[in-house]
Amino acid sequence: MAQVRTYVRPMGGWWRRNPFFVRYMIREASCVFLAIYTVILLVGLFRLSQGESAYESWRAALVSPVSIVFHWVALLTVSYHAYTWWKVSPKTAPDIRVAGRPLPDLVIAAGGWLATIGASVLIYLLVRWL
Amino acid sequence: MADTRTIEIEVLRYNPEKGGEPHFQSFQVPFSDDTSVLQGLQYIKDHLDGSLTFRWSCRMAICGSCGKMVNGVPELSCHKFLREYYPGKVRIEPLNHFPVLRDLVIDQTDFFEKKLPSIKPYVVPKEEKPVSAGTYVQTPQQFHKYYQYSQCINCLLCYAACPQYGLKPDFTGPAALALLHRYNADSRDRGWEERAELLNAEEGVWGCTLVGYCSEVCPKHVDPAHAINQNKVNSTMDYFGVRKLLMPKGGG
Amino acid sequence: MQSIQTDVVVVGGGGAGLRAAIAVAESDPRLRVALVSKVVPMRSHTVAAEGGSAGVIRADDSLDHHFDDTVGGGDWLCDQDVVEYFVAHCAEEMTQLEHWGCPWSRKDDGQVNVRFFGGMKVQRTWFAADKTGFHMLHTLFQTSHKYPSIKRYDEFFCADLIVEDGRVQGVVAIDIASGEFYLFECKAAIICTGGAGRVYGQNTNAGIVTGDGMGIAFRHGVPLRDMEFVQYHPTALPGTGVLITEGCRGEGGILTNKDGYRYLQDYGLGPPDPWPRPKAMELGPRDRLSQAFWHEEQKGRTVATALGQAVWLDLRHLGAAKIHERLPLITEVAKTFVGVDPVVSPIPVRPAVHYTMGGIPCNAHTETPLKGLYAAGECSSVGIHGANRLGSNSLAEIVVFGKVAGARAAQYSKSAPAGRPGAFRKQAEAVESRLLGLLGRDKGERLATIRDEMHETMETGVGIFRKADGMQATCAKLARLRDRYRTGLKLDDRNRAFNTEWLSAIELGFTLEIAEAIAVSALNRKESRGAHTRLDEFKERDDASYLKHTLAYRTGDGPPRLEYSPVTITKSAPKTRVYGGEGKKVELT
Repeated sequence: MAQVRTYVRPMGGWWRRNPFFVRYMIREASCVFLAIYTVILLVGLFRLSQGESAYESWRAALVSPVSIVFHWVALLTVSYHAYTWWKVSPKTAPDIRVAGRPLPDLVIAAGGWLATIGASVLIYLLVRWL
Repeated sequence: MADTRTIEIEVLRYNPEKGGEPHFQSFQVPFSDDTSVLQGLQYIKDHLDGSLTFRWSCRMAICGSCGKMVNGVPELSCHKFLREYYPGKVRIEPLNHFPVLRDLVIDQTDFFEKKLPSIKPYVVPKEEKPVSAGTYVQTPQQFHKYYQYSQCINCLLCYAACPQYGLKPDFTGPAALALLHRYNADSRDRGWEERAELLNAEEGVWGCTLVGYCSEVCPKHVDPAHAINQNKVNSTMDYFGVRKLLMPKGGG
Repeated sequence: MQSIQTDVVVVGGGGAGLRAAIAVAESDPRLRVALVSKVVPMRSHTVAAEGGSAGVIRADDSLDHHFDDTVGGGDWLCDQDVVEYFVAHCAEEMTQLEHWGCPWSRKDDGQVNVRFFGGMKVQRTWFAADKTGFHMLHTLFQTSHKYPSIKRYDEFFCADLIVEDGRVQGVVAIDIASGEFYLFECKAAIICTGGAGRVYGQNTNAGIVTGDGMGIAFRHGVPLRDMEFVQYHPTALPGTGVLITEGCRGEGGILTNKDGYRYLQDYGLGPPDPWPRPKAMELGPRDRLSQAFWHEEQKGRTVATALGQAVWLDLRHLGAAKIHERLPLITEVAKTFVGVDPVVSPIPVRPAVHYTMGGIPCNAHTETPLKGLYAAGECSSVGIHGANRLGSNSLAEIVVFGKVAGARAAQYSKSAPAGRPGAFRKQAEAVESRLLGLLGRDKGERLATIRDEMHETMETGVGIFRKADGMQATCAKLARLRDRYRTGLKLDDRNRAFNTEWLSAIELGFTLEIAEAIAVSALNRKESRGAHTRLDEFKERDDASYLKHTLAYRTGDGPPRLEYSPVTITKSAPKTRVYGGEGKKVELT
């Protein structure tokens, strides 16, 4: 009712104050690497449409040292992205109960991880042998 | 008597009558194995400095009064124990993301006067049923669809955990949205339509970026992150006019 | 000082207060209701009630059974006409709560489940796991949002009433955040401020249970009735006094001493088998169980724990599934506070002060002797609990009589003449002056010193068992403590904004007077009945001389003056209370 002078604490640097938030920010930042990788692939597609020499120069650029470093970093961050994606996916699912007990989050997440690994292995094999 | 050791408790002090910046003050507090953080604060108030101000009531983690930041983590001070932090010091601050009213007391009116009432936290029945008609039938299956979300003690630890609430105070927030889901999911309720505008808004479920810390800190395992994020699916279906087709009851 | 015009003020936002406010709103939405509470309503102590709420619904049960159990449990000090009204309206209120969303625990067919409770012949305790009070309170609080005529004043500390022309015309309250005083000009006030367990040191109660409403009414000439009857709940954790619900025993839990022996069979509650059996052994009434503990302690058969003497509450035979489904809160509480998992170990428990049977006297319509003042819930003495309350009757009480109070106060306020706005400003300012005088003393004792001495003397002299010399000593000590309080406390906190030390000092003033009312009432009841049990020459119940209510009237600075009033007997003439005995084993639901 009567107004009292409250103090509002600033939010600056909030994510550095708790390891949970640091991990969250890394998870979010991983999208940046995913986005850049996607753009590189799209450029490649475009170069393919421009003919063989354009496509070959794009492929040559891919094996430059900068590109290799980028792709290793991207592989790590996107894998982390996939790991955290499945880890939080149970939160988007409806409440599922099996035999009168809630389905543990870990079961759903593990299902996702296994599916991801399986799909990745399959695609790798396809690309390797085609 | 059990062994008595001493621990340093550092508390945030702020006096609205003086204004200015809050500052920290340290106290040496004797404790034994079963002394809670709250009891540490009570010792300071009883014997060292009666002006130290903090909320508390039930001492058994059911009333939700005693939430504080303890070493940077939102906790109920009545069920954390000083022995867990010893020999380090215990730094106690008011819950994050709320204005500080006095010392460890926050201004919680945003939740109680705005967020909580806004979600229509009551059963909206299909039709008014007189008491003489007896109770509704609610099977254990129907019961479990919402029961977990009815456990919220309104302690506000989840708001202190939620950076989105801290950055954008218009966000309805974890506890209020979990309670919204609780009612939508209750077989006795038909209030989805009445709550839809708020749920579907930017301040509703779409303000959540699934940081997930709210569910980590919730002392009653309500899992507000789950309540909010499963409703993103519902909200999307609602947007495309598909929800009514798949869920004819009108509930969650 | 700001004035707020309203029709009905409800003081206290717990189960009774919320139910009363809703009842006013439902009876007439044009009436203005101010719900004034020193805490945000869901922090009220109703939230901590665990076991359940009674209401007859089984075919093998009847209102007469509930009536008989209650009157016998109260050792015939109950006003039987009120008990008849009460038992007839419990199930209806539980159903109303169910319609409002209360998550009552169900049987597999979806019907509400009921369980056994202490002193009850048939299962009739509705329960929501072991958090019934929590669920009832949240249901009521959330439902109250449906009624726009209910205006809440959260964290407003009610400090006094304005009584003029022989009726209540206002309530003076402090806005805790700012320390500013407000005058609520009203036609009727309903006191729902709860009990006074914090008069004692070891108790199951929250810090807020300081008897404010009782203290305020007391100051305005309203007597406090049957204050000597203080309930010790038999199973609280040693040290903290945190409650372990009677529901544990309703599910079949047993109590053993340090030799693993179910000692209750030695105190007229046996034989131990078959188990479970209603009104026998661990399902006996609370006063008998707490007294049995005291005897065991005297005989040296209790268990020494780091936090004091205790006995074991053993739930292991119930199995993990049942414990986790029906008793999740006490499982959490046992693990957190005493490091025990009830699935694999017994829980150490001992009696602690839990409930105040006495309070502001009122009739079945919740009308107190002061016109315009109503009372409902633990702060009242409406006449249903007598000398000892049965478990699960008090959660039912708050809604049955909360509703009555709201309806009555609404009706009264429509016919009561409106006061002139601002007419009582002077009286309100006098209250403000008096209370501000507590601040800013440079010399005096610390609040904690007086409070701790009050706790010590109450526990020693007016505990589970009482003797004349002990009670006498406590009366004298309390008179001295009141004197020392009047001389003045030195508060460290001089601020107005959110000064909880100041509010604690105001509360201490109430608790000291209530403590004295308890001690003096106890000393002068020269018999043993229910929770008031003496070890001196008055060990027996004396219906000839003491089948009557004690009324304590405030006399200013001195001890209260006592009068007595008759008990209303209708259907059940006083008999011996009988528990235990032979019987069949029952099916638990």
